[in-house]
Amino acid sequence: MNDHVTIRRGQSHLDAIRLQYGAAIEDAEWQTENQVTVTVALASLPEVVETLYYGREGWLATIVANDERQLNGHYALYYILSMEGADRCFFVVRALVPAHKPEFPSVTPRVPAVVWGEREVRDMFGLEPVGLPDQRRLVLPDDWPDDLYPLRKGAMDYRTRPMPAAPAETYTFINEKTKTSTEVPLGPLHITSDEPAHFRLFVDGERIIDADYRLFYVHRGMEKLAETRMSYNEVNFLTDRICGICGFTHSFAYSSAVERALGIDVPERAQFIRSVAGEVERLHSNLLNVGLACHFIGFDSGFMQVFRVREKAMTIAEVLTGARKTYALTLVGGVRRDIHKAERLRILELVAELRRDVADILDILMSTANLEARTRGVGRLDPKIARDFSPSGAVVRGSGFARDTRTMHPYGAYANAPVVVHTEQGCDVLSRVLVRVEDVQNSLDIIEYLIDKMPEGPVLVEGFSYIPQRFAIGNTEAPRGDDIHWVMLGDNQKLYRWRCRAPTYANWPVLRYMFRDNSVADAPLIVASIDPCYSCCDRMTVVDVRKETTTVVPMKELERWGRERKDSPLA
Amino acid sequence: MKPPDTILGTNLVPAPGAVFSEAEEIAKLKDSLMKRIRRSAYVFRVDCGGCNGCEIEIFAAFSPIFDAERFGIKLVSSPRHADILLYTGSMTRSMRLPAIRSYHAAPDPKIVIGYGACGCTGGIFHDLYCVWGGAESVVPVDVYIPGCPPTPAATIYGFALALGLLEQKLKARHHKEGENEVVIPIRPLIPLRLRVALEREARRMSGYRQGRIVVDRFMSILGHEGANAPFAERMKAYLDEEGDPRLTEIFERLNDIVEGRPSGWTGQSSASSSTS
Repeated sequence: MNDHVTIRRGQSHLDAIRLQYGAAIEDAEWQTENQVTVTVALASLPEVVETLYYGREGWLATIVANDERQLNGHYALYYILSMEGADRCFFVVRALVPAHKPEFPSVTPRVPAVVWGEREVRDMFGLEPVGLPDQRRLVLPDDWPDDLYPLRKGAMDYRTRPMPAAPAETYTFINEKTKTSTEVPLGPLHITSDEPAHFRLFVDGERIIDADYRLFYVHRGMEKLAETRMSYNEVNFLTDRICGICGFTHSFAYSSAVERALGIDVPERAQFIRSVAGEVERLHSNLLNVGLACHFIGFDSGFMQVFRVREKAMTIAEVLTGARKTYALTLVGGVRRDIHKAERLRILELVAELRRDVADILDILMSTANLEARTRGVGRLDPKIARDFSPSGAVVRGSGFARDTRTMHPYGAYANAPVVVHTEQGCDVLSRVLVRVEDVQNSLDIIEYLIDKMPEGPVLVEGFSYIPQRFAIGNTEAPRGDDIHWVMLGDNQKLYRWRCRAPTYANWPVLRYMFRDNSVADAPLIVASIDPCYSCCDRMTVVDVRKETTTVVPMKELERWGRERKDSPLA
Repeated sequence: MKPPDTILGTNLVPAPGAVFSEAEEIAKLKDSLMKRIRRSAYVFRVDCGGCNGCEIEIFAAFSPIFDAERFGIKLVSSPRHADILLYTGSMTRSMRLPAIRSYHAAPDPKIVIGYGACGCTGGIFHDLYCVWGGAESVVPVDVYIPGCPPTPAATIYGFALALGLLEQKLKARHHKEGENEVVIPIRPLIPLRLRVALEREARRMSGYRQGRIVVDRFMSILGHEGANAPFAERMKAYLDEEGDPRLTEIFERLNDIVEGRPSGWTGQSSASSSTS
């Protein structure tokens, strides 16, 4: 079915695991020239993933579970690895889970990066990862019924709203560090500000020992929506709404995935326009994050100045797409808008203005002693932890790894664009801010280059048809890291399965390690440095393990303390 | 499926008719609120499951360019301080209780705003299994600010509506067909089949918006009655005046269609099978 693929990268990895595991490797199939899916025996899954991950420079992109009972009588698991050493490609390890025995050997003990993916598979499909230490729910609400798995085919209508099965909010927070089972009173969870998330910090005095958090308060069920209510092109507009800040990169990744699955040649001009829009989004989001860093170190005038300048990036988006946010630009096969003379001139003018303004602001920011004093050595992400958990974007590049999917697996018009992957060795908040700052400058260069080299031709292809059960991966570099979309096409003008992984999903699990041994006052700054959409630790519960007391500190109070460093809310 | 109120499984939401139907009293309270907060209104945001697009645009409304604070509107960090509650995002299953609690935490009288497409109706997510709908599914909403997301300007306009600084623009127009009313087809001189072919090609070349503008321009030059110069000359004069190479390229492509030359781009990939 994939005979259209002539160049086949990833052969060396396949040869290596064939040599080592022999009969356990059942089948290999290329979806595109740099995407290969290899089916392995279920029992060998953990070993194969571990070999590829640690032995052959694989990084985890995401895990996809798929209910393929209608197709082959099994559930399927896809562990997508991004091979970033020699022979770069997406190497997908697939294993079939029998329908009558829905369990599989957990890979987490060998490769910690997969922990969230496996917890989500258990929530959404009811496949039990045997040997996974963390038995808690990840995605579904606490009061969701135990035996209802939303993504199993035919399990439920996408509109079903089951009765609460448990008292709401029963999540247990775990303190890994002291290993003593600290009883954490569940307190009045009162999530009322910014983005909802609930944090537990385990502290000794003002030093953080460990942290745990409950997210996914905003789980809505998009993946189910895409495969039940929407047609292929409508999903483009849904993916725009995954994230209000980097939504466009999601629709870019989604349409790339569908186009790759079908082998559609997208017009070059469309790819250029998409890449320009992607860089505009990276530009305004990186500026936003630099602004937030100013805010959290108590440099509020810098924050306001960055926001003033950022408005120019929003104007570029408006010129390019007609909207400041949620661009609605891509369709499967191309884009919905073109760049004519008026737009071209206006964008170049704004880019030139931005270059000047940004240089001024960064000059002021970088010469503010406060920045370095507050961020150097704070929120350290050890490179070894980074290697274990596969974070992406500024989080991993601040710890010395040059991971950027624009250069690892070029897409759109990035193959020749002047992309500079900036890395820092400091592993701290400062390094992550510096990576963002360099990215802002680089985005301006890339936008100018792409506008200048814009090729002729149409912006959209039509007249292709959808082939059931074709699947492929789409990847884009969002401001915070890489977006990975995996799609399998269906036979009723709807997706059979769509899986999307935003970069923050990969960045959250390392956060607890970044918290450890820092002062509570630096916690908001550390959270902001991974840029989780908007600093969303709206409220923290602080548990003093020595005094065995629990204090609930509102986020704003913590933020204020972080800036002023006086009148501790814990005193 | 049961209506949302009974699914909540909680007595936090009063039954319809219990509290919120006291319309008169509420209207009175609102009147007094308006008097009290004429100069400054404190806004508390409740994100009930949004994508952050709304949050970021609210932020932008308070940044130096738009500066909503010049109208005395200020963001606060606790519902206890709030005059206005701003609900963004579709109401998710996990957030319903916190959303209700923040409503009860705000002192009466208060104004509730449903913000953004999701806050107004649930938006694209309105009927999903973990979504209850818009803000109005759990709290009574006074003002809606639609948009996905609303622009900062629309946000400030919405605040002005909420505070009674502006009257809502309401307009309705009804068309009654006249006795001898005849619908004149657009571009009667250009055959329908050609017009469709031109419009499709323009859309493929330049998208739905610029493509529309270009093809309208092209057809008005093409179908211009009583012009002295031949079409090719008029087209050239127009393109010279515009001086946009991209426009010239699209016009040439459209001219190829008029003259019956097939377009070079087939839109077919070697790998994908075709329906046509």
